[in-house]
Amino acid sequence: MTILGRADYGRGGESQEDNLDSASSGRHGTYGRYLLGRCLGSLGSLAFMLLLSFFLFRVLPGDPARTLGRGRFTTPEQLDEFKRTYGLDQPLPQQFLTFLQNTLSGDLGISLRYRVPVSDLILDRMWPTILLVGTSTILAGAIGIWLGVRGAWERGSKFDKVSTGGSLTLYSMPEWWLGLLFIAVFAVGWGPIPGLFPTGGLHSIDAEPGTISGVLDTIWHLFLPVLTLTLAYLADYALIMRSSLLDELGEDYLTTARAKGLRDVQVRNRHAVRNALLPTTTVVALSLGFVVTGAITIETVFSIPGLGLLATEALTVPDYWVLQGTFLVASFAVILANLAANLVYGLLDPRVRT
Amino acid sequence: MGLASRDRGTGRLLNGLGLGHRRQRTRLVRVTAALALFAAMVLPGALVMPAQAAEDDPVTFSVALTNEVDSFNPFLGIEATSFEMWALTYDYLIGYSMTDMAPQPALATEWETSDDGLVWTFKIREGVMWSDGEPLTARDIAYTFNRVLDGGPEAATWSSYLVGVESVEAPDDTTVVLTSKKPNAVLPLLPIPIVPEHIWKDVSEKDVKSYSAEPTDGQPVVGSGPFRLVEGTAGGSTYRFEANPEYWKGAPHVDEVVFRVYKSEDPMVQALIKGEIDFAEGISALQVQSLEGEEGITAHNGDSPGFDEIAFNTGSVDLETGKPMGDPNPAVLDAAFRFALNFAIDRETIIRTVYQGGGKPGQNIIPPAYGDYVWEPPEEDAYAYDPDRAAQLLDDAGYTVGDDGFRTLPSGEPIGKLRLAARSDSTTSVDVMQFFQEWLADIDIDSEVETYESSKLTDVILEGNFDTFEWGWYVEPDPDSMLSYLTCDQLGNWSDSWYCNEEYDDLYQQQHVEMDDAARAELVKQMQEILYRDAPYLVTAYSSIGEAFRSDRFACFQPQPDPGGIWLIQYGSQNYLNVRPADEAGDCDGLENAVGASTASGGSGASSGGGSDDEGLSTGAMVGIGALAGLAVVGGAIVLMRRRATVDDRE
Repeated sequence: MTILGRADYGRGGESQEDNLDSASSGRHGTYGRYLLGRCLGSLGSLAFMLLLSFFLFRVLPGDPARTLGRGRFTTPEQLDEFKRTYGLDQPLPQQFLTFLQNTLSGDLGISLRYRVPVSDLILDRMWPTILLVGTSTILAGAIGIWLGVRGAWERGSKFDKVSTGGSLTLYSMPEWWLGLLFIAVFAVGWGPIPGLFPTGGLHSIDAEPGTISGVLDTIWHLFLPVLTLTLAYLADYALIMRSSLLDELGEDYLTTARAKGLRDVQVRNRHAVRNALLPTTTVVALSLGFVVTGAITIETVFSIPGLGLLATEALTVPDYWVLQGTFLVASFAVILANLAANLVYGLLDPRVRT
Repeated sequence: MGLASRDRGTGRLLNGLGLGHRRQRTRLVRVTAALALFAAMVLPGALVMPAQAAEDDPVTFSVALTNEVDSFNPFLGIEATSFEMWALTYDYLIGYSMTDMAPQPALATEWETSDDGLVWTFKIREGVMWSDGEPLTARDIAYTFNRVLDGGPEAATWSSYLVGVESVEAPDDTTVVLTSKKPNAVLPLLPIPIVPEHIWKDVSEKDVKSYSAEPTDGQPVVGSGPFRLVEGTAGGSTYRFEANPEYWKGAPHVDEVVFRVYKSEDPMVQALIKGEIDFAEGISALQVQSLEGEEGITAHNGDSPGFDEIAFNTGSVDLETGKPMGDPNPAVLDAAFRFALNFAIDRETIIRTVYQGGGKPGQNIIPPAYGDYVWEPPEEDAYAYDPDRAAQLLDDAGYTVGDDGFRTLPSGEPIGKLRLAARSDSTTSVDVMQFFQEWLADIDIDSEVETYESSKLTDVILEGNFDTFEWGWYVEPDPDSMLSYLTCDQLGNWSDSWYCNEEYDDLYQQQHVEMDDAARAELVKQMQEILYRDAPYLVTAYSSIGEAFRSDRFACFQPQPDPGGIWLIQYGSQNYLNVRPADEAGDCDGLENAVGASTASGGSGASSGGGSDDEGLSTGAMVGIGALAGLAVVGGAIVLMRRRATVDDRE
């Protein structure tokens, strides 16, 4: 749980202001260098990912032409024609050069399975994923932090026991199973509970996107999947928040704060939580980076056409360009989130800059 | 410091004076405001939705599928789902009969072959229109086929159907002449959708590889079929078609067909039970069983022309040098060994337990649907579970039981462990191989099950590093392609058993050019007899597809093959023309085996089903509002709690 040396944070400084003061006074140069270093590092990671994304998927077993051609009569000439059309007949180094050229100019290639530009596919699939996983991450983060703070502050209380036990139980449940359970109970109806939500999909077929009813319809469709994911993610944040706040509880600065005569809530929110929030911030930031990798099981159960499904299904072909594209987008997002977390850290805690 | 403590004192004082009440009020105001805002946002939507549904009530038939469309472009797609979409959008030169998929008139009303079998002349139906009002003529047909003959991506998809065809011409608007270099018994079956020349002439050879052929700017795709694609993208999860009232076979009985892709089966079946969808395609036999008691739903396992098999490595060779390649067990290279195992497999058990009763015990590579071509073994050699006979046959062939209790090769060396390769992505495959392992143990052969991803298994097969594997084939209406997969020509291509037999190859060439159906069927039967003796495949099951639909809402699905076949994903679009609301079923225009014909359902017709749907939608919307309001309350409360500290600070 201890990420990036947060344990010592705040022990020396009595309050946030001290740190911010030192950050703003005469340390700008250092921060600039830190920023530059981090950005260069991220660029390096990106370049590495570009290399990796090409070669990683080329070692996958299987031949796209054969996988796609199985089940109907195809001659060897047809397979050759297919490879020629989509550039698979070129020697690997040549293919790699073309890939580099195209990617740098923003062209992710044509999907072997769907025969449309990969960038179109990814854009199409991106927003359901962001809606689903993004909303769930933010909700789970917010609720989880709240649960963790309250649980730690009232350690051993009934609330603490229920929230910790509950979130752990939900955490250990397979997501798909929870999803199916919700479908059976809340979508189809069970006993006295009427079926109120749709069983899957992103919108009704007659819904017009862009209108209020269209938006409402999508919210209605996303309710169960978002609920499932939020519940599943909850424990991540609740437990980290709880344990890092517990770490702070014995600290001297809290005694000092109390001695100053601050109210309990003030001690908690202004001192303890602010210091304990750092690891949780990291986890939330990284989770946001992982949003675009999708949530394969939930996308499958609720038939939501997201990026996770796109990538897993591309594996079976293997659809190299879709795999490369989704991999690049995902690694770009994670690297970006990581960079953002690092930059915020540098701002919050000057000691990590060295 | 001092300031802080003063704050605290004031806070406490104010608290005592009843600030608590003010805070409560603030929260109340906040929450109320949030709720009001939310209600203002969503209420119009909630009011609009039912109103929309009530509007002149078009009949929508919604179908759930498990696979998405890979391309709406008929020159690119490969998935069965895509074929179904083209069948709705386009017409074909030749259609398929519902009984046995034999050729029958479609755009071509009649056709004749020259005496040498080289020239086919098709008479083309007059008065067929494209959906944009242009007439469909013989020129469109010739244009479509010529795009394939000219090479490129079109050829990559379709050229196998036009092998040996030299030219396709349209001497006038109602005649198509097809000339080939040698006779071809597979003709005239041509599953290539006919596209409009006046649209596709603008799609260059270079662009066609990524041309999507989807609706643009709200304009439906131009086709001549019974429906028009108005909404949908490749890889998307919903596709919407509207009826073509001018269709030459007559207008469809439903106004719209909507397809929805479900990525898992349970939610799909739940959606059917709930009534969100009218038809569930491709469900498991287990689900079919579970749906049998359900009111208002009819389910079945429809025969589908395909089979699953246990295949052997009959001798993998390096195609360049002709030398043996890979590491097959010497036992599986011997036809006598493979033939004996035919009797060690309990096909009834496989169907009952692995296939849950969906499917039929397998025999040949030609499924029963293609009746005229099916060869039956003589009575005494018929496919039966008889381990004693298997053991006897193995003994006779020299595979006797050694000292360690396991059979040895005729040379006296131990056979060792046979490797049974199963596909990890198919539980059927794994289960069948586990049964096979037990049955092999019964006749003293040691074996182990190995699982591979399908794509990995393809590589393993091509390298010859296997003894046996489990897989299946889908057999097209003409047996030619299936027969060809076992010819020597296909080694290193589609052959997966490395089977190569000159006698078989000769017969294959003969049947390919034999234009007399009866004579050809005789040749095809001889080929199956050879396969029976050589046993490159042990056909375990003829597959079936589970389907279920709301019989309280819709009726008149005719099976293909008739009887016993599947209701949708057929060859052709006939059932989309047959299907109609249950209360209008009547005798389904005299279709004898159509589900729901004349038995007249009990009153609760399409309208009531539709009604409950609307209700579900608005109730759902209400709950959505409620749930979101709940979230808003929680959110508001959190904001308030966070604010509280600041309020205290200010005080």
